[in-house]
Amino acid sequence: MRTNIKMRGAALVAVALMVSLSCGLIEAKAPVTITFWPSSNPQEIEFAKIIVSRWNKNNPGIQVKMEPLPASRSTEEVLLAAIAAGTTPDVCANIYPGAISQYIVGKGLYPHDELPGFYDFVYERSPKEIVDAFTYKDGHVYQIPWKANPVMLAYNVNLLKENGIDPASLAIYSGFLEAAEKLAKDTDGDGRTDQWLYSPSTDVTWWQRFFDFYTLYIAASGGKTLLDSSGKVAFEDDAAVEVFTFLKTLFDNKLVPKGTLIGDQFLGGRIATTITGPYSIPYYDQNAPDGFEYDFIPVPVPDGHKGPVVTYGDPKNIGIFANSKHPHEAWEFVKFIMSKENDLLWLEITSQPPYRKDIVKDPMFAPYFKNNPMMSKFVVQGAYTRGVDDSKHLIEIFDAISKQYDLSCVNSRKTPKNAVRDAARDARDILAGW
Amino acid sequence: MKEAAVEERQQSCFAKLKREFRSSDKVGYIMVLPYVLHFLIFIAYPLVFAFILVFCKWDIVSPMEFAGLRNIERLMRDTTFWTAVTNTLRFLALHIPLQIVLALLIAVVLNGPIKLRSFFRGAFFLPFVISGAVVTILWQQLYSTDAGVFNLVLTKLGANPVPWLTDPSIAIYSIAVMATWKNIGFYIILFLAGLQNVPRELYEAASIDGADKSTQFWKITLPLLSPITLLVVMLSTIGGFGLFIEPFVMTGGGPAESTLSVVLYLYKNAFQFLRMGYAATIGFALALMIFVVTLVQRKLLDVEQPY
Repeated sequence: MRTNIKMRGAALVAVALMVSLSCGLIEAKAPVTITFWPSSNPQEIEFAKIIVSRWNKNNPGIQVKMEPLPASRSTEEVLLAAIAAGTTPDVCANIYPGAISQYIVGKGLYPHDELPGFYDFVYERSPKEIVDAFTYKDGHVYQIPWKANPVMLAYNVNLLKENGIDPASLAIYSGFLEAAEKLAKDTDGDGRTDQWLYSPSTDVTWWQRFFDFYTLYIAASGGKTLLDSSGKVAFEDDAAVEVFTFLKTLFDNKLVPKGTLIGDQFLGGRIATTITGPYSIPYYDQNAPDGFEYDFIPVPVPDGHKGPVVTYGDPKNIGIFANSKHPHEAWEFVKFIMSKENDLLWLEITSQPPYRKDIVKDPMFAPYFKNNPMMSKFVVQGAYTRGVDDSKHLIEIFDAISKQYDLSCVNSRKTPKNAVRDAARDARDILAGW
Repeated sequence: MKEAAVEERQQSCFAKLKREFRSSDKVGYIMVLPYVLHFLIFIAYPLVFAFILVFCKWDIVSPMEFAGLRNIERLMRDTTFWTAVTNTLRFLALHIPLQIVLALLIAVVLNGPIKLRSFFRGAFFLPFVISGAVVTILWQQLYSTDAGVFNLVLTKLGANPVPWLTDPSIAIYSIAVMATWKNIGFYIILFLAGLQNVPRELYEAASIDGADKSTQFWKITLPLLSPITLLVVMLSTIGGFGLFIEPFVMTGGGPAESTLSVVLYLYKNAFQFLRMGYAATIGFALALMIFVVTLVQRKLLDVEQPY
């Protein structure tokens, strides 16, 4: 009887051991899963699908699950909500540096500089000044520089030629205004102007100002942004007044449309120029009508401007979130995204230049630039770009500028000088916190 | 001694409640549980939380800070908020009368013996059930100063194009017309229901007494529809104060803040600037305004009819 009990006990222990061993083995073999949120535009999803599939094939121990960023008005709203709710992914490849402070204050991002070999990797890939520019004031790096989209002025080659306009004349405000006079006309005789040189947005949504006032301000000021290094308002200056005056003249003289135009009017041949980034190249190539020719030049600057034209860089970076249970594995995946091969794949699919040193001279990228000469212009312009200031109040400051742009430039209710003064005053109030 | 008596009373009260609960039918509690839960989770909790936010500074990601009355102080001196209030009132000043007059006229016509009556009833109701964003985008194209259909017709007729959404003195009224077109179907249905409840014999008696159609409308139809009119006015007011999707999609609050509504301003503060405490304060101020305005409307319009 006793032997029987002993045997039963031994059997139970053996079974328990086997179960726990097999569980351990299963656990050891179970792959780590990382969630990856890329931007939700078709080109970036295509890139993400390819790299995730390649990664998963070669890394059975670290599997990546790709989910495009949830739909919303902006990525920033989605990420903030996710940080607040604790539902962030491990990696996101669409981090806008202008919102980084909010993510950091919310303890949402991982201090990437603490990851093994971080500086070796980023300094090998990107220029040091770029990495330094994205280093937070506490000395940590919460975002990995990934890509920039320097904005330039795209123009319709044939439309300018037909109207006797030399694209080089658009480089300065006086030439631009002269060309705008020539092009603004009623071409179908219905009594309404239906052709213009340029169409600045009349939408007051804050981010619209990236592609008119802000880009032009960076160019006019020789590379200044809205705040100085101590975080104080720096845009109450002559450059801002010149930009407001330039835009106001276009609206006051009816040289630009003052409302929403249906469809893409640049490809439709009704607008001869538009401020945009390199991401428009594949779009234009796919959607342009037969015979449509386009090219890019730097954005216009005030007459008498000296030195290279600096523009808005529209940077987007990659971040690993503090909530990640596997930051080291996530870092391995991020390094894969930013590898040379994948940077080339990225460039081929999206036409967005990565922050990679000497990219034009690199033999691996040379055939790409030979086949895509327009992209070389953006890479050259990429050396003269500015991003956005690091302030958690940036959206509100842009909103204050947008309000004055609307009042002064679009609706002519204020002088440019007063509008800039009031925008700066509002921005100071916003920075003061209440 | 007194404390002991109070305690005893409390205990007996509690015991009574306990007895009542034990003897009651438990199925009733289960039946009301879904609503109670819905109320607690989706109404009571957000309301209490929003009220707490009025006295706090919170940007969703950082810890909440107590701010005392600073949000209310800010509201008092915030000129943009008062611009938004004025814009909303300007919107209501056109939207409510236009909606009532048109809805009533169309309801009277649709209540009469006309051909394709069911089709027209359906057609007028259709915009009400179409997504607000879709309707707004369509009207944005119609209103376009340089490429819109309205201005095309005007220029064909020899008139100057109208800057429907780009002139600060016109834009809010353009939105009011669009909102009226979108919502009128619902109010037509309300008036139709009211018209069908007016006793036929009143019209017959009035006809015998020699009253013409116009007199019948002013002396019988309109007075008997006053409860429905009150309902329409109150619902239009509440809906009008909630103006959001139209300026959000069409104008973003411009030109020159002329279409910035209170709810759009609230949205911007909450979800663009992450000033949750201030947004909650705007929300409570709006609720208070709606309460006061509807109370005044009720006092003025809720008159007993002699019939």
